[in-house]
Amino acid sequence: MATHAPAPVHAPGGGPGGHAHHEDPRPVSYWWARAALGTVAGVLFAFLLTFLLRALFGFEPLYDGGVYGGVAGLTGAMGFLWGIGCFDYWLGWAKGMDISEEDHSFHGVSNWKQYFRVNTDHKVIGLQYLGMTLFFMLWGGLMALLIRTELAAPGQQIADGETYNGFLSMHATLMIFVFAVPVFGGIANYVLPIMLGAKDMAFPRLNALSFWFLPVAGFMFLASMFTGMFGAAWTAYPPLASQGTMGQTLFELGVQFAGASSIATAINFLATIVTMRAPGMTIWRMPILAWATGVTSVLAVFATPFIAGSQFLTLFDRVMGTNFFVPDQGGDVIMYQHIFWFYSHPAVYIMLLPGFGIISEVIATFARKPLFGYRAMAFSMVAIAVLGFGVWAHHMFVSGMAAWLRVPMMITTIIIAVPTGVKMWSWLATLWQGKIHMKTPMLWALGFLFTFLMGGLSGVFLGIVPADIQMSDTYFVTAHLHYVLYGGSVYSIFAGLYYWFPKMTGKMYNERLGQWHFWLTFIGTQVTFFPMHWQGLQGMPRRVADYDPRFETVNSIETVGSYMLGIATIIFFYNVIVSWKSGPKAPWNPWRGKTLEWMVSSPPPLFNFDAVPQVVGGPYQYGIPDARHAVVFAPEQFGGELKEDTRYPVLVVANETLTSQTLINEIRSRNGDGLWSFQFVVPVGDGDRVIAERRLATTLAILAEAGVSATGRVAGGDVVAVATEAAEEISPHELVIATLPLAESEWMRRDSVDKVRKATGVALSHVIVSANDARALAGTSALPLVMVVATEAVGAEALATAVRARADAEPARFTVVAPLDLPDPRWGADASERRRAAGEAMTATINALVNTGVAVEGEVMDDAASVALPLAIDAFKPSLIIVAGINGEAAGLREAAEAAAGDTPVESVNLGAAAGA
Amino acid sequence: MATTAGHAPADQHSPQPEQKQHMNASLMAMLLFIGSEVMLFASLFTAYFFIRYGVSNETWPPLKQDGKPFELPVLLTGVNTLILISSSFTLWWGEKRLAAGDNKGLIRGLWVTILMGATFLLVQLNEYAHLGFTPQDRAFSGAFYTLTGFHGAHVLVGLIVLSLCLRRAYRNDFSHAYNTPLTAGSYYWHFVDIVWVLLFFLVYVI
Repeated sequence: MATHAPAPVHAPGGGPGGHAHHEDPRPVSYWWARAALGTVAGVLFAFLLTFLLRALFGFEPLYDGGVYGGVAGLTGAMGFLWGIGCFDYWLGWAKGMDISEEDHSFHGVSNWKQYFRVNTDHKVIGLQYLGMTLFFMLWGGLMALLIRTELAAPGQQIADGETYNGFLSMHATLMIFVFAVPVFGGIANYVLPIMLGAKDMAFPRLNALSFWFLPVAGFMFLASMFTGMFGAAWTAYPPLASQGTMGQTLFELGVQFAGASSIATAINFLATIVTMRAPGMTIWRMPILAWATGVTSVLAVFATPFIAGSQFLTLFDRVMGTNFFVPDQGGDVIMYQHIFWFYSHPAVYIMLLPGFGIISEVIATFARKPLFGYRAMAFSMVAIAVLGFGVWAHHMFVSGMAAWLRVPMMITTIIIAVPTGVKMWSWLATLWQGKIHMKTPMLWALGFLFTFLMGGLSGVFLGIVPADIQMSDTYFVTAHLHYVLYGGSVYSIFAGLYYWFPKMTGKMYNERLGQWHFWLTFIGTQVTFFPMHWQGLQGMPRRVADYDPRFETVNSIETVGSYMLGIATIIFFYNVIVSWKSGPKAPWNPWRGKTLEWMVSSPPPLFNFDAVPQVVGGPYQYGIPDARHAVVFAPEQFGGELKEDTRYPVLVVANETLTSQTLINEIRSRNGDGLWSFQFVVPVGDGDRVIAERRLATTLAILAEAGVSATGRVAGGDVVAVATEAAEEISPHELVIATLPLAESEWMRRDSVDKVRKATGVALSHVIVSANDARALAGTSALPLVMVVATEAVGAEALATAVRARADAEPARFTVVAPLDLPDPRWGADASERRRAAGEAMTATINALVNTGVAVEGEVMDDAASVALPLAIDAFKPSLIIVAGINGEAAGLREAAEAAAGDTPVESVNLGAAAGA
Repeated sequence: MATTAGHAPADQHSPQPEQKQHMNASLMAMLLFIGSEVMLFASLFTAYFFIRYGVSNETWPPLKQDGKPFELPVLLTGVNTLILISSSFTLWWGEKRLAAGDNKGLIRGLWVTILMGATFLLVQLNEYAHLGFTPQDRAFSGAFYTLTGFHGAHVLVGLIVLSLCLRRAYRNDFSHAYNTPLTAGSYYWHFVDIVWVLLFFLVYVI
């Protein structure tokens, strides 16, 4: 899983640009040893400092564990971060060492161990984020299962009230602060710079530091299991938060580090989006994920400091003995709630907006349609962010806050549903009349639309003050928040993970397992969270370890649902691990996407692009022929001259499916990338070479007309042998094999596609062409149309031979027209009989021709030539008319043809003596 | 087909941005960071205002534990405020001298700014020692110490940043063409100054 390019981008000793690319020689174990040292030193320093200050100022008692622990948590964390190497560059610069800005010694990895070290490559950091956040997600999920196990029946099952509070606090804290918020940072870290055409983020070293804050935060939360779990929920209201064990202090400190990570990453994203877009990429040509990430980053920068402030205040109350939240000393607990929720409401949008961006990408790509209302989508996200700052007190309707605030907050809360609705309608409009491919990412996107919608609807209910007074702190809220967070955030996370899995790992995930994961999760979500709506209205409060027995049934159902979710998650991790290790190789662009990340290899080279791409259009121009989003320059060899028209070869293997519309379209859409040249090889096995040559010539002519550079040859021999040999010869970047469906395909029956995949080791795309499509007329106006006019000759072998000869001379498509001149009455027995016989003869001729590789259609017409031919010529607009007759009967036809032809040339062919049909 | 941007550089520096007018990425980052710091102070001011105008129906200024009202040395702090404001001007003057090519002027300006900033901090610390109340006294005192303490910490960070700029100025790193770290540092210092003016006005004066 190295992120080095297959062809090295840097020549040793100094690539283009003139700096040395050397890897830092110190092993990963060195950094972790330093980190351990730093942590210990930090903790000791804390003890020393606290002891001295307390002794000096005479604070009693001298050994207050909470205070020592609090300071130690902070300085120990800073020591860890120093030790692991986050600050080395800056400290070195401050000390006056000669540091080069272009020092890439910490960029990229060459083995898996190096993921556990400070790294400045955004792709590495992205994967580090994903690994870390998914790890914390597992812990949060475990907590959820513990919660549900306790709630399976009334009375105590596995934990008392204190411990249960710990479970639920830990569940939400892990899921929010170290999973849902940063995982989008991880996905965007990987994908966004490539999407923008940049080589990395604006501040790679800051990026590395942002990542390392995250394990610090998460492990602080987890460490509270050893000191007594914090039990004040993730909302940590005083006065409960001012009491309790050391765990609460760890919570408060951990939130600070998670917040710092979030803010630093957000600053990085904004600087990257504003200053590092490729030339030609106006903000209206950015992929919508860039908009989503930018808006989310603005939210993170301006909202997160409020939770930092709130946690400082509770920390000071705990550790320093201040009285912020002690009412008889002038403190105010409502103040905490206002400050806390001023961040925490925008926080839910931080957890949703990037997901919206991912869903937009997935839906456009898998519906093969431009995103509906791009500008409305962008503006609506801005509106959600702006309005999101004005609704925080809807979490406090029953808190006893100033009563006059409730109605204004209710109004703003209802209003914020409007831009969200704009997005939902736009996604539906994107799907409308699109060609939908139900791959796993699309399943997640569709599941998102359903589930998030339901969560949004319950949110509107909760926004109404009188309803909220009834439903606040009941399971109705739990239902709402899980529908929007699971259905909204988590589904979009999975959509993104599956969508970009091939790009990040270079392997394809297992589609079957992906579908199992989705369906089990979807059903599990509904089973677990839907009954909670009813349960809440019936009066079961939230955050309770025990409940009235009348809720037993519904709780046990929900517990079963939660286990389903657990199993589904296991399936996901199994799929990821096994596919990464030994899945099939992924091509550059498995989804035929148009954004820039699909224009580089899977995984991308070390610095993403060999040269700066040029953006020439919007990112979702599906269905528009020859529309390009960007031109990616492909140098001949690294360090060589940049040429716009250098292309990598794609090997296309096909025989009976050669002239089909499906294959032609596949090639044409790949050609839109501007990166490929196509080489056809047609394995005929024991079959007829001539037919194959004919088909190939037709195909190449159609493609040439469409501006695709393609060449090809016919080869005798078995498909596996032929394909392997051709692959060895031209070293293609991708192999396309087109076959008939399983029932009709000889190749598939003999498992040839898989054999070719294994034998060549090249990324392979399998195109399945239906039998009808393989026989049908392909490339509607690409080839010249030759109209063959015949009556008696239809059905004769000589006619077929003559047409074949014509096709071999010059690729064309043919229409055979037989004007019958039926006698009146046309419905009579005689006429019907003649029509039937002519039809049979025509069918025989057409079959004989199609089976030998000629693109031909036929039509039998009732009228005489003088009437039928003008109609036919008007309908088909041929470029040439050939009149075919046996012996002399062609003369009459020829006259009629010439009369009707106008400018079109007319030829005639005498087929000799009459032969049997 | 797009025209070839044949001069697309094959080195590893960031590509030229799309628009012509672009704020330098580092300055943009500093401004965003300052934005987040402004919000942090906003949260602390919020706490202060809840305590002041909140439901506790306190008289103002509130009473200490020993029953006497809190007293703040407005006059001395006012002078201190003037010192801090002047330090912003000396920094601005130093930057102007650099733009005119006078590196020595920059160094002088930085020295004066740093010394004035340090004076400000020392006067504040002295004030802490003589205030007559501790953070633990009442909610008001906690808010007071938190606000001024956070501000003092930011002044300290600002002094460190300016000192690093000073060191670089001695090595002739800055010029009219390249002065990004200095500009970023001065943004930070002006932010520190403005927050103090606000703090002084809202906490000491009103």
